[in-house]
Amino acid sequence: MPSSLPAEIPQAAGTAPQAAPQRASKRSGSGAPGSGLSFLASELKVLFSRRRTWALLLALAAIPVLIAVAVKVSSAVPPGRGPAFLDRITQNGLFVAFTSMLVSVPLFMPLAVGVVAGDTIAGEAGLGTLRYLLVAPAGRVRLLLVKYVGALAFCVVAPLAIGLTGAAIGAALFPVGPVTLLSGGVVQPAEAAVRIVLIAAYIAVSLAGLSAIGLFLSTMTVVPVGAMAATVVVSVVSEVLDQLPQLEWLHPWLFSHYWLGFGDMLRQPVLWDSFGSNGLLQAGYVAVFGALAYGRFVTKDILS
Amino acid sequence: MGSNMLDSSGGLQGRSGLRRRTWLRWLPAAAAPVVIAVGTLTGSLPASAGDPLPAKTPAQVLEMVGTHQVLSFSGTLEQVADLGLPELPAAGKTSAPASPGSAASVIELLSGQHTARIYVGGKDNARVQVVDQFAERDVVRHGNDVWFYSSKDNTAEHLTLPAETRDSTSSKDAQGAPGVPAPGDLAQQFLSRIDPTTAVTVGPDVVVAGRSAYNLVLEPRTDATLVGKVAIAVDGHTGMPLSVQVTARGADKPAFRSGFTALSLDTPDQSLFSFTPPPGSTVKDVPVPAKTHEPTDAQHPGPPASPDQLLPQLEAKAHVSVAGTGWETVVGTAAGASGSAAASLLGDPLLAQAAVAVPGGRLLSTALLNVLITDDGRIFAGMVAPEKLQAAAAAAR
Repeated sequence: MPSSLPAEIPQAAGTAPQAAPQRASKRSGSGAPGSGLSFLASELKVLFSRRRTWALLLALAAIPVLIAVAVKVSSAVPPGRGPAFLDRITQNGLFVAFTSMLVSVPLFMPLAVGVVAGDTIAGEAGLGTLRYLLVAPAGRVRLLLVKYVGALAFCVVAPLAIGLTGAAIGAALFPVGPVTLLSGGVVQPAEAAVRIVLIAAYIAVSLAGLSAIGLFLSTMTVVPVGAMAATVVVSVVSEVLDQLPQLEWLHPWLFSHYWLGFGDMLRQPVLWDSFGSNGLLQAGYVAVFGALAYGRFVTKDILS
Repeated sequence: MGSNMLDSSGGLQGRSGLRRRTWLRWLPAAAAPVVIAVGTLTGSLPASAGDPLPAKTPAQVLEMVGTHQVLSFSGTLEQVADLGLPELPAAGKTSAPASPGSAASVIELLSGQHTARIYVGGKDNARVQVVDQFAERDVVRHGNDVWFYSSKDNTAEHLTLPAETRDSTSSKDAQGAPGVPAPGDLAQQFLSRIDPTTAVTVGPDVVVAGRSAYNLVLEPRTDATLVGKVAIAVDGHTGMPLSVQVTARGADKPAFRSGFTALSLDTPDQSLFSFTPPPGSTVKDVPVPAKTHEPTDAQHPGPPASPDQLLPQLEAKAHVSVAGTGWETVVGTAAGASGSAAASLLGDPLLAQAAVAVPGGRLLSTALLNVLITDDGRIFAGMVAPEKLQAAAAAAR
């Protein structure tokens, strides 16, 4: 397969030849090499056994803890001050989950997803393991898909970590009772848990486009930090553009446009419009940047 | 030598093949935006309805509106206003709505984009949810009980409608909760203006909320008004008004449009119409005013309020003088009666900032409506140029 591994240079500079084959064998060791599902399973195992992933998740889970403790030790928050729902926390601990998901979406989430998505290809290239992954009869397209699904898995886990930690710490520090929705109706805590999961799903969908952008940027470089930083910068730029009223025509096209629309999951009945528009928009970004990543990755000379 | 030449020619062949394959592999990246662009364009084209509606005269369409029997529906209403009012800090995307009752909240509802969900179940049940980011303002009517709820400060207000008010406004309420005009209300107001001053035509069919509709176009016969065109979409099957667009004279885009983006004629779930103040909320009982209509509007602006509706509000405030007819009507108030109103208007810092000083007073100018507050405290409003207001003020002196 000369075309799939063109211009390979055996002595790639700056790699750790000892570690590299080991990692590669660890991946393919769990199942028949080339089986897509086992490839995916091993990728997920590597991703979620990585200390960096756990550090990211712990940092995200620290947000609700910080909020809950801060509200606990400070005086009552007057309504209408601070982020939405902050004033409700003292009455109902479940609002910790909503508040922390709200404050984490604009910055912390894209930061964490940028790290994971930017690392996908460039991380392997930087470690010098990319060649070994491609030597296994996996194929570049499958590797790209597996890497993207791994990033998506992180997008699912991250908001869940925040939401569930928030609900847990809120229940530990504050009373828990029926939750007042934005429409003025109340739902029981079990239904509120469903809403938390719905919001987590909304956020996971919201981050799919950014993950695709990160994947594409990750195929552009062998320096993972560069891809991570670029992904985070792209998300910040998108959010800044979304704030400029002069660019109103552009707003529906920005991948961050619907990020804060998950409040619609807290209405009675649930307003699905933003969920649908968001899903459509993210699918467009996944298609465009997935295709770009494909074009770049299958034509690129793998040097490391 | 020979082997070298062979090698290089083989390399060239391989390279050109590779280049072709490279080109093919970038194809999806080029195709994806094209597919999206085509999809967007076809989606945004005005979808032509399968069966054209039977041709009708303006009078027949008006009759459809007058006799339509839709008493239960649910839908999403979107209002976009570009009246030229100043962008308020409070109307920013991330902040929640201004507190009800202040002039800021009126301006907030009159500017920018708002989405509301409307549920109407029969004559006496209605619910309007003004959807804000991480906040919601609800108006719920169940029988004679009317609840206002604002999630931002978690306050609920309760109002009991007197029976006779209910009767007198029941036809109106079938279209929307009190103080919250549905397109039906707005259309009725404009239709009531139809007289020799207005050219009424039926334009090409339009599609609103996925339903084909007659497009009733009203054009003032005079050049003296700010309004250039009013277009009302009337559902081709039920006769229910679906959207209203008001275009200023000389403008190509509507300054104000309000219309359904989704509509279902099924009866909504009855549980939507029962409202219990949530625990922890501040509940206030609003005394029933002598004239329910006007104060309700003023204190609890529902989603839309056409510039037209400011007129009835102002009329109710004080002794009113009316100058001009039809589209050129200028409504003015006498000095003594409206002193407090003018003071309260200008007392609001946002309105005071929006009002520019003109000879004889201060002018609150929008694309469709001008309001002149004279130095001696009189208010003149009309859908006319500012000079007309000044002339009316001078004449009424």
